[in-house]
Amino acid sequence: MIGKNRKECIAMLLAGGRGARLLALTDHIAKPAVTFGGKYRIIDFTLSNCVHSGIDTVGVLTQYQPHFLHGYIGKGQSWDLDRMFGGVAILPPFSSAGGSDWYSGTANSVYQNRQFIYSYDPKYVMVLSGDHVYKMDYAQMLKFHKDNQADCTIAVIKVPPRDASRYGILNTDTQQRIISFEEKPREPKSNKASMGVYIFNWPVLREYLENDARDTSSDNDFGKNIIPNMLADGRPMYAYRFKGYWKDVGTVESLWEANMDMLEDMTLGLLDWPILSQVVGKPPQYIAKKGKVKNSLLNAGCEIYGSVEHSILSEGVIVEQGAVVRDAIVMANTVIKRYASVNYAILDEDSYIGKNAVVGAPREEGGPITVVGRREESL
Amino acid sequence: MTIGLCLADPHPDEVSDGSNRTISATHFAGRYRLVDFTLSNMVNSGIYSIAIILNSQYQNLITHIGTGKEWDLSRKSGGVTLFPPYLTDDRMPYSRERDEALRRALDTVSGSKAEYVILTDCATLYNIDFRDVLATHRQNGGDITAVYSKKQVMDIERQSVIHYILDERGRLTGIQRAAYGTEDMNVSLGAFVLPKTTLLQLLARERFCDIIKFTREILAGALKSLKVIGYNFQGYSARIFSLDTFFYYNMDMLDSKKRNSLFFNQGRNIYTSGKDSLPTKYGANARITNSIVADGCQIDGAVENCVMFRNVRVKEGAVVKNSILQMGATVEKNAELDWIIADTSVIVTENRKLMGSQTYPVYISREKIV
Repeated sequence: MIGKNRKECIAMLLAGGRGARLLALTDHIAKPAVTFGGKYRIIDFTLSNCVHSGIDTVGVLTQYQPHFLHGYIGKGQSWDLDRMFGGVAILPPFSSAGGSDWYSGTANSVYQNRQFIYSYDPKYVMVLSGDHVYKMDYAQMLKFHKDNQADCTIAVIKVPPRDASRYGILNTDTQQRIISFEEKPREPKSNKASMGVYIFNWPVLREYLENDARDTSSDNDFGKNIIPNMLADGRPMYAYRFKGYWKDVGTVESLWEANMDMLEDMTLGLLDWPILSQVVGKPPQYIAKKGKVKNSLLNAGCEIYGSVEHSILSEGVIVEQGAVVRDAIVMANTVIKRYASVNYAILDEDSYIGKNAVVGAPREEGGPITVVGRREESL
Repeated sequence: MTIGLCLADPHPDEVSDGSNRTISATHFAGRYRLVDFTLSNMVNSGIYSIAIILNSQYQNLITHIGTGKEWDLSRKSGGVTLFPPYLTDDRMPYSRERDEALRRALDTVSGSKAEYVILTDCATLYNIDFRDVLATHRQNGGDITAVYSKKQVMDIERQSVIHYILDERGRLTGIQRAAYGTEDMNVSLGAFVLPKTTLLQLLARERFCDIIKFTREILAGALKSLKVIGYNFQGYSARIFSLDTFFYYNMDMLDSKKRNSLFFNQGRNIYTSGKDSLPTKYGANARITNSIVADGCQIDGAVENCVMFRNVRVKEGAVVKNSILQMGATVEKNAELDWIIADTSVIVTENRKLMGSQTYPVYISREKIV
């Protein structure tokens, strides 16, 4: 039984990475705070998964450009995570009697916050990433973990074999017990990719984190150190196969694709598992007499006097008369002036595209995606 | 310090859109309820202490306001307090319970540290900074300042619009029903600024009170003894109290100037209770023009001159013109609608053709399947 002052399972959400491959989009905010799907921030998916899976205690580990992220998470009201016992806690690096350190790796960030974990005395600790887009019931994974009496369970998804070398690849026996783990292997032995979703028995994880902290040659990383060490010791570790939609949005291309996937598959927003986010108070969108909108997702407060096709627009985007927006992701409060043209691009929040400006080249030409940074002006 | 006292509308018989919710909870412009404007105006004017006297059919209103956190009104000190009819003795008639609500609300006003009260209804659409009204009130040295808007009155709204007769110095000398036509009227916006002590004196012997009664009886009776000054509000304003005005003013929001005056007047936002709907999706067959669309809709048909509330579906081949579709309404394939008001969750099945007219939009009540 779990007593009143215990939690059976808590989550540690890794949200400190820069996400440098997102170029200018993460110059000023951390990757988990990047806008997604016209309405969400990437971290909304993981936080919503936690809440819907019955995990009401989440530590969010932050480090890189955390100000916006901290404000966005706040007390967790947007996800119903403002709780008297538990709820969301923001965990940036801090100083203590023992000194002060930046988080040197994913494992180190959890290790440094062990006091936070002690305070809930959990049986299980989930380690999650704040930069994946997916809807997943962690409760089922936890049940799988318990049924197997595992020390660690790693969620896996089958990826196309040609992409396998971009991921951490797990090899398992027929009982799904993990035999080996390889980070970005050149010649992958399977196509079961780690989703960066782990469940650990806390006493076991604690021991490995402590040993890892003493190992001066360690990168203090879950994928590089903790998981291989546990495997080497023959700990019972299992792979939990996830069959839904999952996407790592770590690159400009994958971010663009995942956004556009929203257009094809609205199940990401199914009402029985809604993605919760901070709701912005803007009036409904207005499509003017000469406005055209096709095959697109638009959020509140947009005003469309021009033409929008196969694009995703966040709140408050203004597309003036004669302007054309195609194959684009346009983040909040961006203004696209008259007769400007935007093709195959991602425009960050508050950017300004001047009259007659041309941003990006048509997607058919096969060039790269154009990225316009926050508050940048293209005239 | 200033406190807000809001009187939820008392006319359930005239409820705007044919449903049985209080007017203050009536839907507007895709995602709002009328009370949002009152609450946002208060908060935007720095008033964080608000009492709302509820009248009847207030369940939607209570659910909507909740703790008031969407308006930043979930406060340890102040915030929003709701006063529903208050059962003291189950042998007493309902009207006595309403009286009790007024008394309790006035106790709250009386006990607050506020010097001034903003007295309003909960059903007027406008975006105002009451601090300007208060500053004018202090300058003029009057007893009460009454907010009005100088504008023409339409035929459809003449029953319920009150006109202030003002002398050349802006003092109220009479109150009467507004005449409709091309002449500008001084249309009451149902908002008053007055010192707390004046309000408590005026209402000391009153039982039940609503804004119409306050204006037509209490204020009208005090015009000689008190100096009541008019404050001319220049922005967009409207009042919804019938199906006709509901239709007219929702459609008014297709006008960008009016919409901006109502929603962004000098950067002041209107807040409402948020929902985690998806963004609106336009399909490959969508043809949409001159319409406002709230979140969570899926549009794959033709839409022209419409107001779409949350989660509306317009399927491929459907044509919707000059209509208001409320939350969750669905128009199936190849159906056609013209001059229709469809209430919450209405379903119009495939190939149906429904047509009202500009002077007589047809209303379909909630959850009906046509």
